[in-house]
Amino acid sequence: MDGGTPAAGAGGGGSMLTKSKNKGNNHNNDDDGLELGLGLSIGGGLKAKEGYKILTGQYMPDLKSSCSSSSSSSSSSVNISASSIVGTKRTAAVHSVSPPNATSVVGWPPIRKAHRVTILANRIKSEHEDFSSRPETDNITNGHHLTVKVNMDGTLIGRKVDLYAHTSYETLAQTLENMFYGTCSSRLLNGTSEFVLTYEDKDGDCMLVGDVPWQMFLSSVKRLRILRNPKT
Amino acid sequence: MDLNQKRTRTVDRVDSVDPDLVSPESTPMCPFPDEVLEPVLSLINSHKDRSSVSLVCKDWYNAERWSRRHVFIGNCYSVSPEIVVGRFPKIRSVTLKGKPRFSDFNLVPEDWGADVYPWLSVLAKAYPFLEELRLKRMAVSDESLEFLAMNFPEFKALSLLSCDGFSTDGLKAIATHCRNLAELDIQENGIDDLGGDWLSCFPETLTTLQVLNFASLNSEVSFSDLEKLVTRCKSLRVLKVNRTINLDQLQKLLLRAPQLTELGTGTFTQDLVTRPVADLEATFGSCKNLLTISGLWDTNSLYLPVIYPACASLTFLNLSCAALRSFELAMLLIHCKSLRRLWVLDTVGDMGLEAVGSWCPLLEELRVFPADPFEQENVAGVTESGFVAVSRGCPKLHYVLYFCHQMTNAAVATVVQNCPGFTHFRLCIMNLGQPDYVTNEPMDEAFGAVVRTCPNLQRLAVSGLLTDLTFEYIGKYAKNLEILSVAFAGSSDLGLKYVLGGCPRLRKLEIRDCPFGNAALLSGLTKYESMRSLWMSACNLTMNGCRVLAKEMPRLNVEVMKDEDSEDSQAHKVYIYRTVAGPRRDAPPFVLTL
Repeated sequence: MDGGTPAAGAGGGGSMLTKSKNKGNNHNNDDDGLELGLGLSIGGGLKAKEGYKILTGQYMPDLKSSCSSSSSSSSSSVNISASSIVGTKRTAAVHSVSPPNATSVVGWPPIRKAHRVTILANRIKSEHEDFSSRPETDNITNGHHLTVKVNMDGTLIGRKVDLYAHTSYETLAQTLENMFYGTCSSRLLNGTSEFVLTYEDKDGDCMLVGDVPWQMFLSSVKRLRILRNPKT
Repeated sequence: MDLNQKRTRTVDRVDSVDPDLVSPESTPMCPFPDEVLEPVLSLINSHKDRSSVSLVCKDWYNAERWSRRHVFIGNCYSVSPEIVVGRFPKIRSVTLKGKPRFSDFNLVPEDWGADVYPWLSVLAKAYPFLEELRLKRMAVSDESLEFLAMNFPEFKALSLLSCDGFSTDGLKAIATHCRNLAELDIQENGIDDLGGDWLSCFPETLTTLQVLNFASLNSEVSFSDLEKLVTRCKSLRVLKVNRTINLDQLQKLLLRAPQLTELGTGTFTQDLVTRPVADLEATFGSCKNLLTISGLWDTNSLYLPVIYPACASLTFLNLSCAALRSFELAMLLIHCKSLRRLWVLDTVGDMGLEAVGSWCPLLEELRVFPADPFEQENVAGVTESGFVAVSRGCPKLHYVLYFCHQMTNAAVATVVQNCPGFTHFRLCIMNLGQPDYVTNEPMDEAFGAVVRTCPNLQRLAVSGLLTDLTFEYIGKYAKNLEILSVAFAGSSDLGLKYVLGGCPRLRKLEIRDCPFGNAALLSGLTKYESMRSLWMSACNLTMNGCRVLAKEMPRLNVEVMKDEDSEDSQAHKVYIYRTVAGPRRDAPPFVLTL
């Protein structure tokens, strides 16, 4: 795809990906052989992993434009660094021992721009479906989270809750009550509490939680607020 | 014309015959007069067949060139526009492809070339009645589009795929001036989207539109103008709108155009329910001719079912913009018994693919795209078991594009055993250098199984940890292979040598980040003229090696792309292609033709 990862785009520094050769079969014995060493020279947090790992720090749907106007100089500098592995003269340092995982390779995986779909921001997940016995529906580690902030009147420190982990308003309210235990005196949803649960929607309006179907709520909620009930 | 002269003259595929020597007479060798030959030949459309026809003899060459209406140029630099118009006097449709395919993945610097303008200026003089232009990976400016709109009064069909350099202003020119426009197909381009008002430039008098695809544009268009356009174009059969069109609007459009055969929807969900789902469902039910549905952005379990009534006759379903889960896909596919082609995101998981195997026995093509291609940790996606499940249920499968994080040799062997008819096998194991995750061996045997078991294989993309053995298999068994893509694979020069020494039908070879050097490159000396092109980047080629090749093979353009950081002696990116047009005259400074 585009090798415009933040690091490479910023500095164009030698980004190299190192290949772990321990799975060796007849690997090159040539002196200039398999130097597919691309190692990332950005700092920090490189876990040793087998094989190549490609990772960009964050999802960037349109790296071409974000990669500093994707002028030929920037794209080519990225290209260079990703490919300065040719031959015997490797110009950048080789991280031979522990292959980095936080690497970025220009144009890999080979996906055209049109197929890089930003689904996370738009996808509505319903937890109500059948097939719920399937592990997949319980699996929230596939990258689909909807974590929103929750702030409560009178409490300085906010919390965060993953809405996709809930299937209904009830479970959400229960979780929130547990989170803010002690400060909520009774149930949040039935209007008798000292507090009322509201949310800020896509348009920035403050709305009462519970009016619309759960799914629709998920599609428009931006953050939650527990406000003091103005009626009490 | 002297018979001997005819026989000794070779007309090769790249067509260097001097058009001035053409003779219109027929000879005893060729009993058919031109009046008979030309109409017969006009029924032949395949450009490969036409190429064969033109090689038979001088008369056939002539008859063919006068009867050809469509010319396909797979590499815009392999021939000059002057040569093309000199040979073919009566062309009405041109297809032009430009940049090497790896430019899709940002491996080709900007301003590399493939500008369509020089072609347009020649075409305007030679073919003023040109009707169709299909461009892929060309650089297209707004000026070019304006020129096109103003200089070809009969112009009917414009298709732009993976092109860049233009903006919606160029589209305005097309919409405004092409009075007979039947097709406007804009796909996946690097386009500067300045707004949606281009659509409003179609005059009220335009009623000939059959194909309109603006799905890849981002800006909102005027819905009322779109609705009016759709209403008055009674022959509209392909309509693919962009994401800004909502469900309500889609409903209205469908009511206006129930004759559609291909539909690309806009956003397929609603925040505010303005119309009951049943209404939408009924509308889809009234579209009896739908063969293809795409788009479906943002869809979910509530809205996706509205398309069920249209699914029974669908042959192509493109869900690559809809992140469906396994059960959603399964519920949908139950209704899609005629499906031949399916594109999905890997959010459907292996279970979704099991549903494919269960419900789509006629499936011929499957593409599984990664929803999170850059995500390393905690990725679900699809695995080898989904792949096997599809192969079990879909024996007619012959085209696969599969992105995954893990694979085994055994699974691939099983897949090709179930589906030996593969023509296109593109497997992308996204983790570089990933071995068989069960046995920890290279993936050599997987691709060995593919080439051994699938005699009709035309296109192959390999991935994972691969040694030279993979290429030995490919060279030995892939007799019909035409296109091969290789990345981060191989152990030595031998790998490339095997491929160049085998694969008699190889046309396009693209290689990146492999340890193949000069010796390997030069081993294919005689092969490159029978191929369209070779791309090698980040391999072990040097300038000297490339110079040797260029010297030995004058009918190839050996182009090296230089950049500041690489060593002077290294040939960092090399693009080699056969040509009758000589070295490029428009090469930018960073492209050296050796």
